[in-house]
Amino acid sequence: MKFLISLAFKNLTRYKRRTIITALAIAIGIAMYIFIDAMLMGAEYESVRNLKWYETASARILDDEYWEERYQYPLDLNISDPDPILERLEAEGITASKRIVFTGDMILSRAEFGEDGNIPVRVTAIDPSRDFDVFHFGDTLIEGRFLEEDEEAILIGSWFAEDIGASVGNWVTIITRGNGGFYEAIDLQIVGILNCPNPNVNRTLIMMPIKTADYYLAMDGAATEINIRLPDQAEVEQEIATIQGLLNGNGITVMSWETMAKDYLAIAEAKRGGTGMILFLIFIIAAVGISNTMLMAIFERIRELGMMRSLGMSDMKIRIAFMLEAAGIGLIGSTIGVIIGVIANYWIINVGIDFGFLMREMDIGYRIQSIFRGTWNPGTIAVAFFAGILISTVVAYLPTNRALKMDIPSCLRHQ
Amino acid sequence: MRTKRTQKLLSLLVMICLIPSSLAAMSAEEIIRKTDEMQTFDTAITEGELQITDRFGTKISTFIAWSRGSEESLIEFTSTAERGQKILRTVDSIYLYYPDAQELIRMQGAALRQGMLGSDVSYEDMTGDNDRLSQYEVVLDGEQVIGDRMCYKLSLTATTRSVPYPKETIWIDKEHFIVLKGEYSTKSGRLIKEIDVLETGRFDDLVLATTTRISDTMKADSQTLMIIRELQVNVPIDSRIFSLDELSW
Repeated sequence: MKFLISLAFKNLTRYKRRTIITALAIAIGIAMYIFIDAMLMGAEYESVRNLKWYETASARILDDEYWEERYQYPLDLNISDPDPILERLEAEGITASKRIVFTGDMILSRAEFGEDGNIPVRVTAIDPSRDFDVFHFGDTLIEGRFLEEDEEAILIGSWFAEDIGASVGNWVTIITRGNGGFYEAIDLQIVGILNCPNPNVNRTLIMMPIKTADYYLAMDGAATEINIRLPDQAEVEQEIATIQGLLNGNGITVMSWETMAKDYLAIAEAKRGGTGMILFLIFIIAAVGISNTMLMAIFERIRELGMMRSLGMSDMKIRIAFMLEAAGIGLIGSTIGVIIGVIANYWIINVGIDFGFLMREMDIGYRIQSIFRGTWNPGTIAVAFFAGILISTVVAYLPTNRALKMDIPSCLRHQ
Repeated sequence: MRTKRTQKLLSLLVMICLIPSSLAAMSAEEIIRKTDEMQTFDTAITEGELQITDRFGTKISTFIAWSRGSEESLIEFTSTAERGQKILRTVDSIYLYYPDAQELIRMQGAALRQGMLGSDVSYEDMTGDNDRLSQYEVVLDGEQVIGDRMCYKLSLTATTRSVPYPKETIWIDKEHFIVLKGEYSTKSGRLIKEIDVLETGRFDDLVLATTTRISDTMKADSQTLMIIRELQVNVPIDSRIFSLDELSW
């Protein structure tokens, strides 16, 4: 065996150019696999994080019937007395904040925006003193200031501001229907612009103080939802069961972010299938490259193979020698591939690729506003490394076998 | 002494003269009740048009409407662009039917504020019943001339949250009990819709508004004229016409 390993090593060094070319083909395939996997995994991880940080929180308390009617944003299906619930949660060390979410028409005047118009909007009324403990808007302000408790003011997303041509200081009117169905018109001044990393939020974000909304919508202290922030490592379902127990039903329910984002997760799952397909294709391309190079390498050495057989070397030993040589190429290629992949990973994790131009114009499902960053995935790196060696070895088997089926004179005469 | 007696007699005479007119004067509630009564028919078939004007110009849509009482109606548009589109109002819902897509949509929530065919008449305006007295507190603010007609001016303040307009000011023709002008406001008093009757007409024994201007004050450069061309009241109408099953046929 020692002799066979030594022979395989000598052959590797004897045919340097072939070894380098084949190893590079393997390396590029493996590096691409590691890089793309890191990028897609990173995009998915960041999307889920941005979904929880800016849309769903970890969990949400709602009226029992609200979720069924959620697209109507009903104000009458509310949590009538949210403050005792918040106090109970706080006593248990759970961070939570109440919100009122409603829809309406935003009226834009010629005097402020150069053109009269109206657009349908969704408004989120927040408790300015607590909301940013649950959601992560605290570091997204790019212009103006945050909301104060009881003022007729709004914060808007930067993309939304761009779309309507708004700036800090502009006034807008929101026509909506209060709790019960009556019309109400609210004049609100834009006091701040937020650049939310979640594009779905940044495109539509309008926030106002909950006290102002409570007054105009006649909510009498009620809220449409209470959002909960749980630690990243928390078992969400277990925590929800605990919170549900604390609340004793009372016509309200607790939903996890996974339940609320079921549609997103279904799309992400489908996307993962597509991602798997992309990675599989990259794998196939790499494998075809490796096998092609190995085929050429073996066929150009059929005469050498015939000579070895005529000198009495057994077919098994010849097969093992060739496969060891292929494994050696795989090892070199995989090592280089992993090194390139890790360097590329380091870059995409720390710098990333700016897809802002694409994300601004269209929604491709990811909750990422511009820069796609990767994530470390040691499992993929290990799989890619060993797969590179294994594929090289396996694809060497067939041409070697075919050559061994030829008789010795044919091998020796082979051109 | 004699002067004092004369003054007492004169006062008594004035009071006696005033008694018939004060007895004859209607209360705010009676005016509303009478108006609702005059504007509601057992059944009616109406033909007319909507002239919708916005900053892009004027669009005319013609329609034929069947109604029963104050809570059921079917409007079918007959103009080329909207031919076959239908709006069915039942006791508790509004449905739209689009023949090209063969699609039936139930209007609810924020969608009810949308203008019918982009007009200033919202789907919301089609809902609600005529029983205003159970939903509003009514005050008679006096009388005022609108155009050349003497009108009662009434202020209505909602006693329930379930009505779209928490405050209304309406001017009702003293003679025919038609609402000649209306201003509809939010709880905080912001005017959001105005209605003005520009022309009235006689259909058999009835005098009704034939041209009404509706303006959504939140939409700039926008108004809708609703013109009634033909009206038949208390004619037999097949009750199936107001059913959902019939809507798509």
